[in-house]
Amino acid sequence: MKHFSNKYMLFYALGLAAVVALVLTLVATSLKPRQDKNREVETKQMILKTIGIEATRNNAENLYAENIKETTTANGLPLYKFKLGIIIPLNGNGLWGPIWGYMAIDDGGSVVGAVFDHQGETPGLGAEIATDKFAMRFIGKEMTERPIVLKKNADKDNPYEVDAISGGTMTSNGVTEMLAKAFELYCDEIPKVEDCEAISKLLMEEEQ
Amino acid sequence: MKKFDLIKLPFNKENPITVQVLGICSCLAVTAQLKPAVVMAISVTVVVALANLIISLLRNTIPPRIRIIVQLVIVSTLVILVNQVLMAFVYDVSKQLSVYVGLIITNCIVMGRLEAFAMTNKPLDSLLDGIGNGLGYGIILVILGFVRELFGRGTLWGYPIIEKLGLYNIGYENNGFIIMAPMALILVGIIIWIQRSHDKELQEK
Repeated sequence: MKHFSNKYMLFYALGLAAVVALVLTLVATSLKPRQDKNREVETKQMILKTIGIEATRNNAENLYAENIKETTTANGLPLYKFKLGIIIPLNGNGLWGPIWGYMAIDDGGSVVGAVFDHQGETPGLGAEIATDKFAMRFIGKEMTERPIVLKKNADKDNPYEVDAISGGTMTSNGVTEMLAKAFELYCDEIPKVEDCEAISKLLMEEEQ
Repeated sequence: MKKFDLIKLPFNKENPITVQVLGICSCLAVTAQLKPAVVMAISVTVVVALANLIISLLRNTIPPRIRIIVQLVIVSTLVILVNQVLMAFVYDVSKQLSVYVGLIITNCIVMGRLEAFAMTNKPLDSLLDGIGNGLGYGIILVILGFVRELFGRGTLWGYPIIEKLGLYNIGYENNGFIIMAPMALILVGIIIWIQRSHDKELQEK
């Protein structure tokens, strides 16, 4: 075996690290604007999807400008308005990382549409929350008396229950928590919600 | 060894999963459906091939005592680069890949081939070996993904094939157990069993 001195090894390691760091930094910084843009367009696509508009990457920005108005709540939280109601952002934690989404609620208080996404949930299990099939389950449900809950064998006629994902229990629980949090934060903005304080008191009692 | 054998052998007698028993972890994780299985197969092939090539080019300069670190750095760099480029240019594909890209770094096949082959062989041979092993790994993934999606969910590539065939109406039900990871391991076992009973050379005494 060829002999390598300690000095050679040290400089080899340092050299390799420097080259790799340089390449990665160059690539990351030069591609960042494109990536940010992609993410922004994706968010707009997601928001449009909650109100049933399937935008492509090319027309998302125009459609967004036409259909969505960005505002904030009294507490300074971001809120989106469309002509039939509001769209609230959702943020929470799944099993492996953050999950998020948007939910459109019309002036009658029922859900027009929802979208969910995740950073690293298990493919085929928890990651199913990002599918249309899952999002469709929310249409027609309500957020007026209490937040929607994900559960096994949900009652189809109950507007506050949605079928959870089989094999994705932890992620489903994350979605339930995310909806509860959003309900609390946006309670005053959601149409047809009568008394936010009374509801939150009731929910707390139920928990105990 | 003939060049063609480098590509051909990993499909059968030197298959990374069923004979070398490498990359089992990721093959359980990503085969619940066919699509991620195919995407993973392609990504691993690209990374193993390129890593093999680079390590083979550098093989005479790498001090043996720090070779594992050097290999790891090269593999991680490749994976990050691939991910960055995908995120910038084909964002939708990168979303599909997100989890799997990270998994490639820890895939035993990559390190296994670097250690066993690229460190001692010429660049072209190493490149072919990487492609062969990536595809040999991929074929098992695709078989698993096919079986698990079809019998676990009744779909193929997301297309509801069982429903269209009308099998639900005559009492057929999906086997939810097949989607769970342990079932993938059992399926790998069955593939190994079939392969070994077919090929006497692979049977241990």
